[in-house]
Amino acid sequence: MPTFNDFLSTLKDNLMIFAKENLEEHKDDLLKDGNAFVRKAKKDLERWTEGLAAGALSKADFEFLLKGKKDLAEMEALKQLGLSRIRINKITDGILGVVIGSAFKTFL
Amino acid sequence: MNYIKVNLIIIVRSILFFTLLITSCSTVSVYSPEAYKQAVDLKIESLDLMSYATASYEDYQEEVEFLKTELKKAYEFARGRPNNEISTQQWEILIDEDRNLLGGFFKRWQDENILSQMFVDEMQMIVSDAFDTIIGLESGKIDPSELK
Repeated sequence: MPTFNDFLSTLKDNLMIFAKENLEEHKDDLLKDGNAFVRKAKKDLERWTEGLAAGALSKADFEFLLKGKKDLAEMEALKQLGLSRIRINKITDGILGVVIGSAFKTFL
Repeated sequence: MNYIKVNLIIIVRSILFFTLLITSCSTVSVYSPEAYKQAVDLKIESLDLMSYATASYEDYQEEVEFLKTELKKAYEFARGRPNNEISTQQWEILIDEDRNLLGGFFKRWQDENILSQMFVDEMQMIVSDAFDTIIGLESGKIDPSELK
């Protein structure tokens, strides 16, 4: 007869496997997106500074672009927030599956 | 016998807890093909109209007003969908005339009448990326068929 401790042990092992598979993948995605945004912003700033020096951009243009980039960063952050919530939903869904699966595996 | 009963109660409670957790986290709407198409179409139309901003605003006033109405419709559509606060906030930022994305760009075009080529090119890239954040979030949402 399996005990409740057997169930907890199975559940713990399955949750560890689940967390390792899912959380690492999401952490990598988030870092990749964040780094790409910073790299692009740096290149934009270099180009705008050159444009300002060459007279292709006015001070007002330059300032507007900088503020535009800030607004874009806010929209990007909202996208990441939304995607994170979707991932959390998927993960909690997965955890529920692990709990049920572990219970069935132990007791049935 | 009592031991099994206690175990089952604990399991049922665990399942209920996780179900509640899932319900409380469901704060992002499901995927909408209509919202996705709306954002893609408006991205193309907006970038196209922006490219004329090196010419006089007066010549394109009608087109700008028409596009602004279409953008407001997209915003209202986003606002009307349940659990869609994040996408709605994105639309708000994009079309707000007091900010520095599409709404601010049209306001500036109107105020200045003609904008410089480099400024227009650079703003097109920023606005394109801004639309991509809306499109990216929408395409990342769970398809309703996956929930069945």
